[in-house]
Amino acid sequence: MVPELGDLFESGVSILVGTRDAALVPEAMRGCGAVVHADRQHVTVFVPTIVAERTLANIRDNGQVAVCFSRQIDHRTMQIKGRVREVREAAAEERDVVMRYHGALTDGLAMIGMQRSTLKPWNAWPATAVEVEVEKIFSQTPGPNAGEPWTGGRT
Amino acid sequence: MSKPLSITDLPARCFQGVAPTVIATCGADGIPNVTYTSQMYLLDDGRVALSCQFFNKTKQNVLATKLACLQVYDPVTFEAYRVVLRYHHDETEGPFFESMSRRIDAIATHTGMAGVFKLRSADVFDVVSVEKTENFMHTIEDTSSPLEPTQLKWKGELYALQYVSKAMRLPRDVGSLYTATLEALEHAVGFEHSMILLPDESGKRLYAIAARGYGESGIGAEVGFGEGLIGTVARERCSLRVSGVGAELRYGRAIRTSVQRSTGGRDLRPEIPLPGLVDAQSQLAIPLVADDELVGVLALESPRPAAFEPWHEAFLEIIANQIATAIDAFARREKDDDEDDDEPVAAAQSPSQAPVECTRTLKLRFFKSDDCVFNDDEYLVRNLPGRILWKLLGEHVASGRTEFTNRELRLDGSLGLPALRDNLESRLVLLRKRLEQKCPEIRLVPVARGRFRLELECPLDLAESP
Repeated sequence: MVPELGDLFESGVSILVGTRDAALVPEAMRGCGAVVHADRQHVTVFVPTIVAERTLANIRDNGQVAVCFSRQIDHRTMQIKGRVREVREAAAEERDVVMRYHGALTDGLAMIGMQRSTLKPWNAWPATAVEVEVEKIFSQTPGPNAGEPWTGGRT
Repeated sequence: MSKPLSITDLPARCFQGVAPTVIATCGADGIPNVTYTSQMYLLDDGRVALSCQFFNKTKQNVLATKLACLQVYDPVTFEAYRVVLRYHHDETEGPFFESMSRRIDAIATHTGMAGVFKLRSADVFDVVSVEKTENFMHTIEDTSSPLEPTQLKWKGELYALQYVSKAMRLPRDVGSLYTATLEALEHAVGFEHSMILLPDESGKRLYAIAARGYGESGIGAEVGFGEGLIGTVARERCSLRVSGVGAELRYGRAIRTSVQRSTGGRDLRPEIPLPGLVDAQSQLAIPLVADDELVGVLALESPRPAAFEPWHEAFLEIIANQIATAIDAFARREKDDDEDDDEPVAAAQSPSQAPVECTRTLKLRFFKSDDCVFNDDEYLVRNLPGRILWKLLGEHVASGRTEFTNRELRLDGSLGLPALRDNLESRLVLLRKRLEQKCPEIRLVPVARGRFRLELECPLDLAESP
């Protein structure tokens, strides 16, 4: 994963988390922050604990996860797919990551006309940290090539 | 814990594209996929339709496993709802498909991608379950926000209808009809930005004959049939409402950028600048149809997302029918007036005297190639109103005439008025308004039905260019 992607993932983009249960029933939720590991093969995605019950149950069941990162202003979108290696309660020192993300997401959504005050009461913390081993990366910016595997060029 | 709901319990604004909906699906191989949906329509209390523009992973997954999970957001409160869907079928024709397709076409034409970015299918899903996601947001006392739909000044829909209808009944001429209608829409319903556009003589473009809430930039603005929301409404003769214009355009532009990268932009036309607010977030356009002919378009905008609700559309369709009928009645009356107008055209009169204080000469130039009239170096008017102005000024310079009739304009083959529904009075209204804005030294003053007087404050210097 190139540094440019890491910057995108750790910015205020919308983070969408997709999982599924044993019966292949999918689940969608919003993430509340991400940290790309130094090895660039792993990403920790944070999810608000209070609304993550189904997502976490799905992860414990099969470990499959898709995470979509979408920049609000121009729809630049990437999706990673992989397996969850660890699920844990986010540590106190990671609260800053989540709070920074909450602020950056608010900035991103304010740029496209949403009210800052609307997003203020989002229950992003306490969060659960989900460590994902990235197996595949897809470019998902809307268009005829959406869904193509990312080959390392411009997304 | 979350409580079960019906899909119709969700606020209507959740389905207006202001806050995009998240969709998760899963392939037969068990690999999940998550992204945003482009458009979602509520069909009834048990079904929704999602737009499919590209045969992407989401579509492949729902065909394989039939299930999708949505996270739907209320754009006003950001509360979230979980909706589980089961794929039923897709449609490539019929009312849902056409309705979705027209909205996408309106955005595609605006972003220069007509034919490139189009609806492949409308995918119909049964709603399996709906829940509010409890504790998604902190509970706060006041969730009101400027995103709330237009706060109406109405005293009930029927009163508003009565008020607008009455305002439309009073005008004595077509110009006053347009002005009174837009004034009444603001006064009774709170629509601050509105336009009435009419087809020009080519039948391929529309021009704004009346505008409210646009300063001087509204009147005379043009848009081609099939371009953007207004042009699409004119071409398809159906109403269109877009609640998150900014979001739709960003989506369209993202696709445009993607197409440019993969094809070098060979299939793309330039993005079209359209009349209206630069920061419009909600648009609503209604066709004006009389006698099975398109006589114009009523267009409204708001800088607020989700400003127009379904009832506004229904309300305005009733108003639009009245406007169309009134326009048609004025057009017929104009023709009848011509038939009755047996008075001779005013003979040569002394040229109107320029006031003493006028020390300059109006330098007007007519460009024959596109029928444009310029005042010094400033564009004044073009096409039929341009030809009419040039005829009047030419006659005045040649013979000193100041009085003219609609009938003689109709009989002048060089002007190229359409044989049917020529909208001459509306063309004169546009010409008068353009002169008021850009060249107040020239006035066309109505003196009787079908007659008007040319008044000049300065001497003229007329020139022509190829």
